[in-house]
Amino acid sequence: MNKIRIVGLLLALALLAGVVSVASAQSDITICFGFQDLETEFWVAGHKAITETLREMGITVLEYNANEDPNRQLEQVRECIAQGVDGIIIIPQDGDSAVTIIREAQAADIPIAVFNRPPNDRSRGITVVADNVSATEQAVEHIAQMALRQWEITQQPITPLIVVGALQDTNAIGRREGFFNVINRYNERYPGMFKDPIEVASEWDAATALANLEAAITANPDVDFLYTSSDFLFPTIRSVLEPRGKWVPRGTPGHVLMAGLDGDATACMLIEQGYVDATGVQNLFFEAELTMNRLLQAIEEGDTQPNDVLLDPGFALTSANFPWMAEEMWGCVLYFEGWLDQ
Amino acid sequence: MSTIDDRVQPAAVNIALGPQAGAGASQRAANPLLAFLRRVLLSDYFILYLTLVFFVGASAFFPTLSAPGNISNQFSNMWPLLAVAVGQTFVLIIGGIDLSQGSVMAITSVVGALIFTQVLDAPTFDKSPLWGTLINEQGGILASNPNAVLFGVLAMLGLGALIGLWNGFAITRFRMAPFMVTLVSMIFFSAFALWLTASRNVSGLPEDFTRLGTGDIISVYLGPKLTPEIPRREILPFISYPMVIAVGLAVAAHIILTRTVFGRQMFSIGTNRRTSQVSGVPSGRVVMLVYMFSGFCAAVAAILYSARLGIGLPSLGSNLLLDIIGATVIGGTSLFGGKGSVKGTFFGVAFFVLLLNILNAMRLSPFVIDAVKGVVILLAALLDITRSRLINRGVRA
Repeated sequence: MNKIRIVGLLLALALLAGVVSVASAQSDITICFGFQDLETEFWVAGHKAITETLREMGITVLEYNANEDPNRQLEQVRECIAQGVDGIIIIPQDGDSAVTIIREAQAADIPIAVFNRPPNDRSRGITVVADNVSATEQAVEHIAQMALRQWEITQQPITPLIVVGALQDTNAIGRREGFFNVINRYNERYPGMFKDPIEVASEWDAATALANLEAAITANPDVDFLYTSSDFLFPTIRSVLEPRGKWVPRGTPGHVLMAGLDGDATACMLIEQGYVDATGVQNLFFEAELTMNRLLQAIEEGDTQPNDVLLDPGFALTSANFPWMAEEMWGCVLYFEGWLDQ
Repeated sequence: MSTIDDRVQPAAVNIALGPQAGAGASQRAANPLLAFLRRVLLSDYFILYLTLVFFVGASAFFPTLSAPGNISNQFSNMWPLLAVAVGQTFVLIIGGIDLSQGSVMAITSVVGALIFTQVLDAPTFDKSPLWGTLINEQGGILASNPNAVLFGVLAMLGLGALIGLWNGFAITRFRMAPFMVTLVSMIFFSAFALWLTASRNVSGLPEDFTRLGTGDIISVYLGPKLTPEIPRREILPFISYPMVIAVGLAVAAHIILTRTVFGRQMFSIGTNRRTSQVSGVPSGRVVMLVYMFSGFCAAVAAILYSARLGIGLPSLGSNLLLDIIGATVIGGTSLFGGKGSVKGTFFGVAFFVLLLNILNAMRLSPFVIDAVKGVVILLAALLDITRSRLINRGVRA
């Protein structure tokens, strides 16, 4: 009997707490923001832009970090739904799990937006994404032009290398596609200019990239053209190239033509110093603004299942346009503010 | 099996703990509060009480915790973890440990998905060693077979059991430490899952399969019907497929553990393997079957996790080991073997899921959450030692 009394008492208290919860519910807009580990400058800056802007607008933001576990993110989104949030913004772990999470939110009539890492099926939810193919093509085009001048003089074929991201992420697929578009275009116009590209898997992980790049450069010491699918890997690339005497600025013999994508503060600094030649820029602040505005519009209009793809065309910051374009890149804004000195 | 020492079973121990258990009884009677606390602490339902106290206390600070939607959601989070924790309970009871459960989940998840997936993307999967032979653009190995899901699920369960059997075999035949054997299995099968899929998720899973992780058998709506249409978010799962599967597994495990000779043999081995061998317990066979069951339970959990996410995930379970062992230990299963119950594991899982829910509600970073989970597991282990001491004192008295 004692057990029954104890359980009964506790359940009564739980019911009381439930009543209190209903009475104290808030009436303003609440947005759930689910993200993965903020390992790179891009995600840190994106997280900051979204949370600070929403809070400045008086919106309550519930933050959830899934720690790179898609199952955990699904549970967190369900938790947000159970809490009755008005809208959800996610940075998913991959394009596959994003599809499931969007379906879950829409089934509960909650508008959802996916920031920067798009779902494999873009027909549902608000998807804000950089045009990875275009931004990559612009950056790689710049170093391909430099390589062409070099090839015309030496007639030595260029050895290109691409550090690819995790290919379950459509961003990584787009960046790889942009890189190969440029290489193939140049090889059609100038047969024999590029050797077959070497592909190095990073899985968006610095340790994996380091191991694979070490192996690739050891096997192919003549690599002189390198594109990384994300700027956050430049320190890793440096640690591989520097001991081999290949980490030298433009104009120095042995300089590897290098481009990346993201437009972070490190890339800005390296372009300024001459080690890197170009980077494709995702217009982070623009993308964050697009995400928030479209989601808030849907909430205001009572549209519970907004489906929209919003593209950030991106641009390339190169060694040539650096003096007048640097201020346009989010990473340079952070760099000039002393981000890397912190 | 009269040779098995029944004192190792919790039910038998509790008999010795009644108020009549000796000199200490009169002191406890003099202080009813102390006696009450002692009774609660030593009760099989201690973790359940603790869970309810936590729930009530935290609900006062975070009211959304007690919302019906949140409660329903937390239950749905419990089922896959319960399935895998039941297997770990068996292993811990015989004094072992199974570190490979996460990797069993990963490999069974991708193997099942590669059997019944309906479509595979060439640029994504052409680096898989199976591409062009067993899998192609038209999908998995049995994509066109109407019974693909059935065969896939059976393959997942069979593979899980087989890996578990291998673990048990290596431990008993080669006399290797369970920690080492299952650690090697963990590393090997995690890597194998990544290799098999070239580190890609396998999507395009058929609805017959995903329903196992998301489908409701009975849904409920709590509240007045104010509008012609009830908002979908207000309709809550009451009885779902994951619940039926996980609870069914747990009930079967409970019966095996408490009502069969095999269950008694497990407790005997966990308490003292040498003594149980001398008493005629076929310890090698029991250990192998227990690890086999652990692998089977991990495969069941893989089915539930993969089905609800709708993908075969080669990294599935990589972050779950702390949760699995944590929930099991919190539920009163001893890391030293010889003690534990499925009922306790059920309460432990409930406590663990609630703890995570509360920590999320507190908006703590995942690193702090993991640290808190670690501390709670440590406290649970210390509590287990304290309870054992109290029980021993009671027995001596």
